[in-house]
Parts: sequence; C-alpha cells; structure tokens
Amino acid sequence: MIRLHNVAKVYDGGVVAVQEVSMDVRKGEFVFLVGPSGSGKSTLIRMCLREEKATRGKIWVAGKDITKLPTWRVPYLRRTVGTIFQDFKLLPTKTVAENVAFALKVTGCPRSIVRRQVNTVLELVGLSAKTDRYPRQLSGGEQQRVSIARAFVNRPPILLADEPTGNLDPATSVGIMRLLDRINRTGTTVMMATHDFAIVDAMRRRVVQLDRGRVVRDQSGSGYESSDET
Amino acid sequence: MSTLLFLIGEAFVNLRRNALVATGAILAVFVSLALAFGALVFNELVRVNTLQWQEGDHLIIFLKDEGGPVAHSELLSQINDYPEVKNAWYLDKAGAYQEFLEIYSDQPALAATVTAADLPASIRVELEDISTYQEVQFRLVGHPLLRRLSVFSEGIERLLSLTGVLNSIGIGLVVLMGASAVVLIANTIRMAIYARREEIAIMKLVGAGNWFIRVPFIIEGATVGLLGGGLAAAAVFASHNLLERIPTDILIRFQADQGFLLSRAILILAFGGLAGFIGSSLGLRRFLRV
Repeated sequence: MIRLHNVAKVYDGGVVAVQEVSMDVRKGEFVFLVGPSGSGKSTLIRMCLREEKATRGKIWVAGKDITKLPTWRVPYLRRTVGTIFQDFKLLPTKTVAENVAFALKVTGCPRSIVRRQVNTVLELVGLSAKTDRYPRQLSGGEQQRVSIARAFVNRPPILLADEPTGNLDPATSVGIMRLLDRINRTGTTVMMATHDFAIVDAMRRRVVQLDRGRVVRDQSGSGYESSDET
Repeated sequence: MSTLLFLIGEAFVNLRRNALVATGAILAVFVSLALAFGALVFNELVRVNTLQWQEGDHLIIFLKDEGGPVAHSELLSQINDYPEVKNAWYLDKAGAYQEFLEIYSDQPALAATVTAADLPASIRVELEDISTYQEVQFRLVGHPLLRRLSVFSEGIERLLSLTGVLNSIGIGLVVLMGASAVVLIANTIRMAIYARREEIAIMKLVGAGNWFIRVPFIIEGATVGLLGGGLAAAAVFASHNLLERIPTDILIRFQADQGFLLSRAILILAFGGLAGFIGSSLGLRRFLRV
C-alpha cells in the first residue's frame, strides 16, 4: 500500500532528513514510526503526502509513484490518504460537522451523501452530540476525534498520523489509539509516527525505528525498544 | 451545482469575516473607478462641446452697408466658389437682429437699445477643413465690403488641441486608476489570504484542489470590484445630474448623452468585476503552490 525505495530527503542548506529508506507497508497493516526528534519520521510522512518531494528514490502510495505525480494530481492523492496531526489542524471557523464535511465537499460529493457520511463517522468517533460545536469549544481529545473523523470520512485506504497523541494526556491518548485500532480493523492501512512508548508497547504492532534519517529497525509485533534488547 | 453554491457561500462568509478590509477595498476601488469614469465623462463633455462649435459657423464676415443686398449677394456667390468653403449663407440685418434677440433674450434692457439698423449683415462660412481658415481670410483681406472678419476657427483649434491634451490626460487617468484598482483588490485579497494561510494549508491537506480554494477568493474579489464599480457609477451619475442643472448659456454644457453614460457605467462595472478577478488571481498565486 505504501512502498519506499532508497528514499532520501535533503533540505536546502544540505540538511539530510532522510537517507536511503526502503520499506513496504502492506494493505491493512498498522505501522509505528518511532525514533528521536529529528530522526526523519515527520519528513517521511510529509513525503508520503507529497508535502515534501523526495530528493532521491521512489515512493508508491496506493499503487501510484508519487515522486512522478504532476502537481495538479496531488489533491487527488490526498483524497485517498487520510491525515491526522498533533495540532489537529481543524478549520477554526467551521463547526465539527462542517470540518468533517469539508473533506467530502472538496471531492464534489452530493450534499445528501455528505450529510449521511458525516453523521455516521461522527457517531463512530463518539461526537454525534457535538456536531454544531466549534473546535475552540472542544477538549484536545475531542478535537483529535474530529480530526480522525475528517481523515476517515471518505473511507481512505491509508491513514497517516503524525504524533496524534502528542498533545493529549495518557488517558485520552488511549481512547484515540482505540479509535485508530478500530479504523485499522476495517482494513485501512495506518502509518503513525510517535514518541509515545507506552502506546507502542501496549499495541505490539510493526515498528519501524528511524535514527538520523535511516531505518535502524523494522520489526513486527514489537515494542518501542527492540525485542532483542528486552 | 451544490459545490458551486458551497463556494459562493464560502465567498460571502469570507467577506463578512473580513468586513473592515473589504469595505476599505470597496471604497478604494470606488475612488479609483469614480476618477476613471469621471475622466471618461469629462472627455465626452469636451468632445461634445467642441463638436457643437465645430458644427457652427467657422467664419463670420461682417459686411459694410455699401452696395446693399445686391453687392452682398455677389460676394456670397464668390465665397461659395472658394474651394475651401463647404457652405456659405447670408444673414441680413433683420436676421442679425433676430439672432441678437435670441442671444440676449435674458437681457431685455440691452435688446431695447439696439435696432435692426444698428447691426451689420454678414456671411456665415462653413469650411471643408477648419485648418484652411487662413486661406479664406487671405482672399478677403482688403475687400471693400469687408467690415470685420470673425474667425471662430482659432478658438476651435485651441480648444481642439486642448481637447487632445485633456483626452491624453483622461486616458492616462483611466489606465492609472484602473491599474490601481487591480493592485488594491490584489492587495486586499492577499491580506485576506495571509490571514487565512493556515486554513488554506489545511484545505490543501484534505485534498482541496487549487480551484476549490481559489474560487471563493475570486468571487470575493469580483464582488469587491463590482461593489466599488457600482458605487463609482452611481457617484458619477449623481454628479452629472448635478452639473446638468448648471445654466447652459456658459461656455461648456455639462450634458453627456444618457446612452453614453449608461454604456460607460456598464463598462466600469465590468472593469470592476474584472479587476477583482485579476487582482484576486494575482493575490492567490503564491499561496497555492503545493
């Protein structure tokens, strides 16, 4: 579902963020990207969204080589990849329902379908009672649920999450992870960058560890630290 | 269809949220386009007024009484034969008196002191080309019947050259004000976009295409341009109506054709809308790079 082959990213000024990364994420997999700050986790996610272009190598997302994707096709790529961020990235002037509906409206989805889908997904994330609230009227956990609802509302085959629990307390983080787990069980491929070792250890999924832009460990059913070390 | 309605709705929500900035832009566009429209109308007034003079008598040959109508008639036929002359006609003393009474109809005291006998007969000349008035003048110098030659062409030439200058200034003003309207709208939209750059980034992240983001801003810009253009048209119409009331016996008549005003008002409105479209398109470019 996501495939990287010898991918490198060098920023202006020669800062190397990612080097020679190759990995293959299969359909329905749940993959944690772990590693210290500056190890290249977020850059990798941004490259999969074509927010950044790889300096070298190839990236395939949902079967398409996105390193060759023309600029005008990028929005179509992003409609097949749901994204969740640490800072939620909700539109402050839109209500919960409008924020979620926005992801469908950009695809030109008819109003009746938008309404039905939005109601369904808000029920899934447990926010059907707060559809008319604005993001500022919600807690951090609730805002992240809205963000997940928006990412999942058009049933994308891939979900990318960049530190989705980074701004949340442990109890709320557990709730968010349960939600992501439920989404993953529907067949959606999830790739999540995180620092939260408790979550990684609890879920025991595939872990790709990065250090200074390189993959130093790729282990299934693993915890935050290498199983060999524990 | 529902997408278009959604985008139009977004545009008006943006306008409401940026009411202060939008009002400032509308007023700035109004001033620019009112000046541009005013310059167009001014040009038209100058053209209409000089046309009136051009259509009138280019030369008036005031005649001595010696020889009477017979000698005057001979001179008239001579003048009609001049190649520079398009048309010439005779105005006798009675006709001159009638014209005098018309011109000074608002001054009966003056009219009472003059009789037909006091006024000279004259030959009125319309030239093929007003620039040839000097040739006609040269032919008549020293003619025994010539009392005085009044050359309106000199005034017309001066006015025409002035019109040329005024036209150039007017066109310059129209171009300058039009360009400033585009820049003002572009700047307003830029400010609106800058204030919402994070929202735009979020829209792009969830897969909004450039046109989906662009259209509300373009509608916003076009609305600002149309409102500014509409206000400018209304202001120029109102000013024209006020100027029309100025008494018409002074040098310039402030009366432009209503059809002209209407067509130019539509042009100004369309320009306002177009300026908004171009301005917002220019203002958006930088923020839509993927």
